[in-house]
Amino acid sequence: MSAPTSTRRERLEQRRADRRAAERAAAQAAARRRRLIRLGAAAAVAAVLVVVAALASSSHGTANRATTASAGKQAAALFAGLPEHNGVLGDPKAPLTLTEYVDLQCPVCARESAVTLPTVVRDYVRTGKVRLQARTLHFIGPDSERAARVAAGAEQQGKLFRFLTVFYAQQGTENTGYVTDAFLRRVAAAAGVDAGPALAQADSAFATGRLARADADATRLGVSGTPTLAVSRGGGQAHLLAADALDPQSVSRALNAELAR
Amino acid sequence: MSPRGLRAASIAVAAVGLAVAAYLTIVHYAGGTPVCAVTHGCEVVQKSAYSELAGVPVALLGLITYGAILVTLTRDDEPARTACAFLALAGFGFSAWLTWVEVSRLDAICSWCVASAICMTLLAGLSVARVLRAPAGQAVTT
Repeated sequence: MSAPTSTRRERLEQRRADRRAAERAAAQAAARRRRLIRLGAAAAVAAVLVVVAALASSSHGTANRATTASAGKQAAALFAGLPEHNGVLGDPKAPLTLTEYVDLQCPVCARESAVTLPTVVRDYVRTGKVRLQARTLHFIGPDSERAARVAAGAEQQGKLFRFLTVFYAQQGTENTGYVTDAFLRRVAAAAGVDAGPALAQADSAFATGRLARADADATRLGVSGTPTLAVSRGGGQAHLLAADALDPQSVSRALNAELAR
Repeated sequence: MSPRGLRAASIAVAAVGLAVAAYLTIVHYAGGTPVCAVTHGCEVVQKSAYSELAGVPVALLGLITYGAILVTLTRDDEPARTACAFLALAGFGFSAWLTWVEVSRLDAICSWCVASAICMTLLAGLSVARVLRAPAGQAVTT
C-alpha cells in the first residue's frame, strides 16, 4: 500500500519542479524584457545625442554655404551689367588695360579683391576708362593650379571675375588641400558658373594654355609676387603699375596718371 | 561567440580604436598632417570645419569615447554592458555621420577616420550582442 503514497509525493515534487521552472522562465522573460528596454533606451538616447552632435557639427558647414551664397550675391552686384569676353572685363575699347597677377591661394590677393577691386570696377571699368583682365599664377601649390584651371573653365562661361571674387571670399589656408571638387562646385555655383563644364575644362588644353600664358607674361614683366598690377595702353607694351595694390587711393592715383599720359 | 569571447573581442577592438584616436589627437594638437598614403584625404578632413565639435577636436572626443568604452569593459554586469552599448551606439552613429560628410561634403576620405568608423561599427555590434546574450541574473564580476 506504499505505491499511492509514493505517487502522491512524486506528484507533489513534480508540481514543485514545474512551478520552479515556470518561475525561472518568467524571471528570464522579465530579464530579457528589461534588457531590451534598457537597450532601446540607450539606443534612443544615443540617437538623440548623434543628431544634436551632427547638427552642431554641420552648423559650420551651413555657415560656410551661407557665406558662399552671400559672396556670390556681392560678386553679382559688383559686376552686374559689365561685359566679360575671353577673361577681359569691361569695354573692349577702353584706353587702358589693367592686368592683375594673382594666385587664388594668396591671402593678400583675397584682400586686394575685397579692398581695391570694387573701387577699380566702380570708378574705372564701369566708366569705360579701364578694361580689367587677370593672370592666374600657381606658384603657391597644387591647390593653386587646380583653382586656376577651374577658373579657366569659368572664363569660358564669361564669369571669370565672379568666380575669382567668390573664391577669394571662401579662401582657405594655403596648401591644406581645401580646393576639392566639392569646394570648387560650391564656389562655381555661387558665382553663377555652371560647375560641371567648368570642372570638366580643368584638364583641357585651354586651361593649360591659360596657365602657360600667365607664367609667360609674369616672367616677361618680372612679376615677383602676388598681387601685382600691370597696365598697358591699347595694344602696347605692359609695365608694372606703380601703386600699392592694397590701397585703393594709391591705385586710383596711378591709374589717373596713366590715363593722363 | 560566448559572452566572455564577446567581451575579449570588444576590448581588442576598443584598444585599436583608442590607438587610432590617440594618433589623430596628437596630430591635431601638433598641427601636423596624418600619414594618409592610401586615400590622400586626411589633411582635408583634419583641417575642415567638421574636425571640431563646439571647439573640441573630434579626434579627442573619439579618444574619450574609446577610453570610456574600455572602462565599462572592465566590469561585466548589466549596467556596464548597457553603458558600453550606449557609448558604442553613439560612437557608431556619429562615425556614420562623419563618413557621410567626408564623402558628400568634403569629397575626401581619411583612412584613419574610416578605421575608427569600422572599430565603432564592430563595437556597436559586439556590445548589443553582449547585452542580449548575457546570462540571466548574472552576478557582478570584475
